[in-house]
Amino acid sequence: MNSMRTVIAFTMRNKLRSKSFIITTIILGILLVVGANVPYFIDKLTGPGSAAKVGYIASEQGEIIKGLEQQFGQAEEQKVQLVPVEATGSDADKAAALQQAIEDGKIKGYLTFTENKEVGFPDVVYHSKKMLDTDTAGALQTGLQFVKTEQAVRDAKLTAEQFAKLTAPVKLDTVQIADGSAGGKTEAEQGTAIGLTYAILILLFMSVMITGQLIATEITAEKSSRVMEIIVTSVAPLKQMFGKVIGTFLVGLAQLVVLVGAALINLTLPHNKGALEKYGIDLSSVDPKMIIFAIVMYLLGYFLYAMLFAAIGSLVSRTEDLSQTSMPVTMLSLAGFYIAIYGLTNPESSFITVCSFIPFFSPFILFLRIGLADPAWWEIVLSVGILIASVLVIGWLAAKIYRVGVLMYGKKPSFKEVFKAMKAYKV
Amino acid sequence: MNPLVIEKVFKQYGEKTAVNGLSFEVAQGEIYGLLGANGAGKTTTMRMVLGLILPDAGSIRYRGKPYSTEQLSMMGYLPEERGMYPKVKVSDQILYLAQLRGMSRRDADANLKRWLERFQVPEYYNKKVEELSKGNQQKIQFIAAVIHKPSILIMDEAFSGLDPVNVELLKSTVKELRDDGASIVFSTHRMEHVEELCRNITIMHKSNPVLQGPIRDIKSRFPREKVVLGTERDIPGLERISGVVSANRTERGYDLLVSRKEAAQDILKHAMAQGPVERFELLEPTLNEIFIKTVGESHE
Repeated sequence: MNSMRTVIAFTMRNKLRSKSFIITTIILGILLVVGANVPYFIDKLTGPGSAAKVGYIASEQGEIIKGLEQQFGQAEEQKVQLVPVEATGSDADKAAALQQAIEDGKIKGYLTFTENKEVGFPDVVYHSKKMLDTDTAGALQTGLQFVKTEQAVRDAKLTAEQFAKLTAPVKLDTVQIADGSAGGKTEAEQGTAIGLTYAILILLFMSVMITGQLIATEITAEKSSRVMEIIVTSVAPLKQMFGKVIGTFLVGLAQLVVLVGAALINLTLPHNKGALEKYGIDLSSVDPKMIIFAIVMYLLGYFLYAMLFAAIGSLVSRTEDLSQTSMPVTMLSLAGFYIAIYGLTNPESSFITVCSFIPFFSPFILFLRIGLADPAWWEIVLSVGILIASVLVIGWLAAKIYRVGVLMYGKKPSFKEVFKAMKAYKV
Repeated sequence: MNPLVIEKVFKQYGEKTAVNGLSFEVAQGEIYGLLGANGAGKTTTMRMVLGLILPDAGSIRYRGKPYSTEQLSMMGYLPEERGMYPKVKVSDQILYLAQLRGMSRRDADANLKRWLERFQVPEYYNKKVEELSKGNQQKIQFIAAVIHKPSILIMDEAFSGLDPVNVELLKSTVKELRDDGASIVFSTHRMEHVEELCRNITIMHKSNPVLQGPIRDIKSRFPREKVVLGTERDIPGLERISGVVSANRTERGYDLLVSRKEAAQDILKHAMAQGPVERFELLEPTLNEIFIKTVGESHE
């Protein structure tokens, strides 16, 4: 036990001191802090004052312009501001005047109208230098539609009350039904759950993969630098392997706590709270069950993959060969991750349900189901049970492979050779 | 009972026999030489002694006890392929290795400082291993093997890659460890080191122990057949003496090979009859010659 603590301490000290680790943590931290504030900045940038200025010929289509202005004025945030441009004479002269206004920076684009007798409303063209200015065009479309409807309704001589009824938006809320209980998740809670599940899935996947690769790389490096020969004669290989896995785990956890902490602090800052609410995310509505399972799944998933990576690292003699050898495990975790991403939109599908019992996928997919669907408790117990059992089996197997792998140099041994070596070494 | 007793150990890798019935004992305060060509089974033997692999048959006993992980703390190992953590400070990794072998960090630190002083490189304490020259890395590696005062020390190719000054330095250190009572198993391709340091040796060839025993006994088993004659003048007729196989003129006299010991006296008489002789010696075979003879002969 004592020597295992020594291995853990040594692993952690080296990791925490290494420049690459410190730099990665700082960069990720900065990205997260910036990312956490992005909704706020987007909000800020698209706020008042940023309405697109759209020009029109002052003397034309007075009625439509008036309607449009009224319409834009009512909106919560003004997306379009209409700017009159004085011009007389032929169409060409007018176009030139409008062009001039764009050159002068007075307007971003302008409207022209062509009579359309059939519809009783002119065809409108929005001229803009910007490509795909869908935001402005969308706002104009809605505004013009409204003006047209209003005109048509006015011709039909409806009362103001009737008109209000006609244009009032339909209210549609969705509530998720939970098994056995009356209160399900509201829309805000669902949004939060999906967002959070997505975020935690990425976090789970990244930390499992990064720390797993790290363990494999370190073990191979110890092997290729031959320091392994001294290590295995100083401490039982098992203690060394588990010491390394646990040490790296603690470092990874510390990194995770720092990063998640940075993101959370920024997200809960007062200016961000409002911005998040706009996107339907309310952190206080997070189900504590989700957080608990995120931690459980992180633990189990980490140890499952870390031990696989440790076994692979012990088989490879040169770091160059490592990525190739670890490919199957990388693919396995990638598959689990992508199935989970697919499951974000189909959490109830039977495919997802089945996958949530497969040990290498379940860390991601069971968590997804807990976050978005509502699995029965026995399903959770069964899945976690299978996962724990596989962690134990893989741990036992990895220990055996590790025991013989660290002494095998030269080309990467085949399964048969490893098995033979196990017999020869009597492990 | 001797601290390290190896008894009839066998090791097989698949079809191939790596060690075939090897036995030897190392006394307290003894350096035991394990010799053999590449692939003769030395490293496998050492790995079995270190407990990295188990013998298929036979036993290895440490102070009368079989192998257990507790023995690890009293063993030191200088592997053939040297290696340390390149990017970790000397002090960090030596202390780590010492702690793994059950030393307290404080004791290990004191020992490390003493060893660095001893090798006249105290400034390496805070250096990374990759910053050191190869020879100096060897010194650090050596310290890693002995920092915890092992009572059984395994040294594979002990002095390879060192300059003559450092070879002497390490050799005198190994002698000191021996005099302090360590049992040392030692392998090398430098026969003069074996002759200087070891009392008993085993020469292995293709997994088999082919020659074993005290160096003196082994040497006496091989006939003395080399004669050195120191004289300034030409001495004709040496080849014609019965029992002389060949005679070569050198700068300072003659080197002769004889087929029987008695011929040497005839050579001396013949030479003295012709003038003064400055030097005359009937040489015992060197270990190098014995090694080449033993390993080379069984090649054919």
